[in-house]
Amino acid sequence: MDVVVAVIFLVALAVIALEWVHRTKVALAGAGLVVILGILELEEAIEAVDWATIGLLAGMMIIVGVTEKTGIFTYLALRAAQLSHGKPLRLVLLLGGVTGVMSAFLDNLTAILLVVPITLLLADVLRITPIPLVLVEIFASNIGGTATLIGDPPNIMIGTAVEELSFLDFVVNLAPVAFFTLAVVSVLLYFLFRDSLRVAPDRVAELQRLDPTRDVREAKNVKRSIAVLLGTIIAFFLHAPLHIEPAVVALGGATVLLLVAVDDVEEALERVEWATLFFFLGLFVMVGGLESQGIIEEVANLLGDLTDGNRTAEAMAVMWGGAAGSALVDNIPFTAAMIPVVDQLQGADPVDDALWWSLALGACFGGNATMIAAAANVAATGVLDRTGHKVSFVRFLLYGVPVTLLSLVIATVYIVVFQL
Amino acid sequence: MKSILEDMALVDAAVGKDATYEDAARVLAASEAPTVAVLDDDRKVVGLFGIEQALRGCMPSYLLEMRHTAFAEDDLAVLADRAREVLDDPILEHAVDPVTVDLRTSAFHVAEVFLHEGMAGIAVVDEARYAGILGRAAFARAMLRRALADAGS
Repeated sequence: MDVVVAVIFLVALAVIALEWVHRTKVALAGAGLVVILGILELEEAIEAVDWATIGLLAGMMIIVGVTEKTGIFTYLALRAAQLSHGKPLRLVLLLGGVTGVMSAFLDNLTAILLVVPITLLLADVLRITPIPLVLVEIFASNIGGTATLIGDPPNIMIGTAVEELSFLDFVVNLAPVAFFTLAVVSVLLYFLFRDSLRVAPDRVAELQRLDPTRDVREAKNVKRSIAVLLGTIIAFFLHAPLHIEPAVVALGGATVLLLVAVDDVEEALERVEWATLFFFLGLFVMVGGLESQGIIEEVANLLGDLTDGNRTAEAMAVMWGGAAGSALVDNIPFTAAMIPVVDQLQGADPVDDALWWSLALGACFGGNATMIAAAANVAATGVLDRTGHKVSFVRFLLYGVPVTLLSLVIATVYIVVFQL
Repeated sequence: MKSILEDMALVDAAVGKDATYEDAARVLAASEAPTVAVLDDDRKVVGLFGIEQALRGCMPSYLLEMRHTAFAEDDLAVLADRAREVLDDPILEHAVDPVTVDLRTSAFHVAEVFLHEGMAGIAVVDEARYAGILGRAAFARAMLRRALADAGS
């Protein structure tokens, strides 16, 4: 059965990477096979699901869906663009910065879906092509999302799987390197794109005419929604001393929001991305199947043998391997499979958390390498495609690979100097 | 028993399948019908071009991706650019799949189609051939008039 479950998982990864079938269908079909073939009993399959991750995702989807209606995120993106006064370097830094921060505290897919349409309008107003700005935002969303436990799906999975790692641990250990990397990458992107970001003075005047406060003024329950969002973020910072799981914080915040700021519950729940939640369910069952057959242990042992137990070599293998795996497949299934491997490598009495931070940095930064490496890339290039600004796979690679390599070099120095 | 559709004045608003966006837009602008039928050579309905499709065509394509737009100021140059881009497009690129009802169908069915399809106008066919366009508002008014008359008697 170990060969069968390995084949199921590898075929599922390949089909997800090639995008032949929607990834949720693939994950559910793989999970179904794991149960039907008796690799896991139904009860074992249910136990294999990390319900904390599902709860955290669902809670954040509700919070973000409701607060997004207030127009506050549109306001932030527009103000950032206006503060640039049409200067290319400022435009890149401010739009990248806003996207990065929004990714850290919402999640990178949501952030990108909020800022990309506004960027298309901004590009129209400024009479420039939107592609460079959207690429900046994609890279910023994946790097910014690395900064917190809730910013990127790989971090959510790591944070909920490893109880000892708190939200604050993620911020302390990942936010500095993430935002330093974002700044360096933004400057690189500015030099690559500066010629196509020059704006005529009359277009800058048009940009300043936009009134970003109007949407916020017209929305309902703005103050309550924003208060609950901020309260939830504060609760994330305090969840460890308060002994509350991050999933409880997210679901608690969502419940409070539904109680105080939502009239139509069904409409609010429509914003829950059920396809994503079922994708995670299927993945967890498939990985549970791999674990039950001892395959995860074998991979961990193999990795241990290859690195000869050297901590630095293990961390580098996890980070660079994680980045390569994320780039080629998709960082979510890859992280789901790598979490138990890293858990095995850590052993019963780990000396530090360097391997977890290496996995987070590798999986999140690796999400920038190719168009399919992260959900945010797929979503943003999809919007570009639908609006007549197609970015080819190869063109994405031309920018994605240098950005990823630069990010990983920074992450390598960080891990070696500060974590090992 | 006669269908309510047979008693209603359907509006003729149609273009051939080789028409352009501009051709259909001109028919739509000049007609009282909220939808233009796109017909093949056998006068079978192969698409519908309604108010929504017209708006989608002449507005920037990213509008559909946006959830907040109150901040925006009209930039007529952008809108004119967009309109120029689509005028020569084949109409079938902008039309949606046809929603049709038979001339002899019941009012109950027509109401269900309007409520579920969300179109402002649908095509009425007689033995699978185009007979005319039925607008949502015209149908609703006819139903109301009949209901009020029945209630009064």
